[in-house]
Amino acid sequence: MTTKQQFVTIKGTKDGLVLRLDDKCSYSDMVAELRRKVSENSLEGVAEVKVHTGHRYCTEEELREIMTIVHESPHLRVSKIQSDVITMDECNQKIVERQSETYIGIVRSGQVIEAEGDLVVIGDVNPNGKVVAAGSIYVLGRLKGIAHAGASGNEDCVIAASWLEATHLLIADKRETMTDELTILSEQPEMECAYIHSNGFIAIDRLQELRILRPNLSTFKGGS
Amino acid sequence: MGEAIVITSGKGGVGKTTTSANLGTALALQGKKVCLVDTDIGLRNLDVILGLENRIIYDLVDVIKGRCKVHQALVKDKRFEDGLFLLPAAQTTDKTAISPEEMKALITELKRDYDYVLIDCPAGIEQGYKNAVAGADRAIVVTTPEISAVRDADRIIGLLEAEPIDPPKLIINRIKSQLVNRGDALDVNEITTHLSIDLLGIVLDDENVISSSNKGEPVVMDPSNPAAIGYRNIARRILGESVPLMSLDTGKPGFFGKLKSLFAK
Repeated sequence: MTTKQQFVTIKGTKDGLVLRLDDKCSYSDMVAELRRKVSENSLEGVAEVKVHTGHRYCTEEELREIMTIVHESPHLRVSKIQSDVITMDECNQKIVERQSETYIGIVRSGQVIEAEGDLVVIGDVNPNGKVVAAGSIYVLGRLKGIAHAGASGNEDCVIAASWLEATHLLIADKRETMTDELTILSEQPEMECAYIHSNGFIAIDRLQELRILRPNLSTFKGGS
Repeated sequence: MGEAIVITSGKGGVGKTTTSANLGTALALQGKKVCLVDTDIGLRNLDVILGLENRIIYDLVDVIKGRCKVHQALVKDKRFEDGLFLLPAAQTTDKTAISPEEMKALITELKRDYDYVLIDCPAGIEQGYKNAVAGADRAIVVTTPEISAVRDADRIIGLLEAEPIDPPKLIINRIKSQLVNRGDALDVNEITTHLSIDLLGIVLDDENVISSSNKGEPVVMDPSNPAAIGYRNIARRILGESVPLMSLDTGKPGFFGKLKSLFAK
């Protein structure tokens, strides 16, 4: 046992306990040792651990198995699973989500334009036309139809338009139908943006406020 | 080789059939050989407006199903010497009786013998619309200054832009000058900006359009009628003439007043 390399190590760091799983050995060896380590653990009370899988790619099923094994010990709770690797597919998906797609033309009644990242529409979105994006939506033209930003759940996304006169605005799972009240509030719907306010509702503000409301939207870091 | 133009609108009752009849007649008046094709199978009216109802023997479906030759089904308008013909729609069946491919073949055949083949499209965006658009080279979208008609026009323009044809052109029909002057109706500029396609022309609302349709004589035959002038201008633009658009100034109040006094002269 003493000559054998340890496949599973528990370390205390300033962020709490880290359960490091070796990424060179076979998965079954690692799991076997994990099971042993967890059962012989001499901890008291309940501690949260971060599981770190290193350069081993674990499938969802394997991750679930690891979680179950750790949770067999009454003293350990998994707070987070970390890994140094992702698959090509996940990587490509991340790239797509960060990308901005451009549509030039008019989105007419009955048409739906969908983007996996941000969406830039150069042209109008007419009533009953719909634009959907996993990221934010920017319309260089009149937005008079329906816009859904953050369609896969990102509440930080915004909808900005040269002329914001949409019938329906949706961000993540929040929905706002443009009532008369809102129209009056935005008497001049020029250069405006919609975002989820800290009160949980969709709010509309001047485009210039975006710098303060959503500074993270800028991809340029640092000052000048 | 002639040109096939489909006249469509999405919404019903905006004046597709009236426009088809009047543009066909106006083009025939200009000395062109025109064939009007009514594709509103089951609800045909183009024959009635042209006053040719009682001369129908065969129809569109008979031709496509090979029950007769094309020339047997064509009804000649006797007011024009070989200038205007109508291929009437069938009344006893429905839009599914023919397919877009069959329609395309028929229109290609007609284009050989005529300068213009005008296709009167039924309302809606289903089978009838698909049949009507199949053989067309160009499209004209008819709308009225009502929000519902403009919405449907927007939808149909979106569908037409996906077809392999030239960008559609717009006709705004039934413009009521008093309403526009009072600011109670959508004005021409508003509609063209919203739809952002080229405006082919405008047609003023006129009682005589209905009364002459009832008589089976398209209003365009009367050269002094304001609606007729609109249709004649559109026909000239189709022929490639550049006729100034009287529509562009309608935003200013009082323009139609000026226009009226012009007509009164």
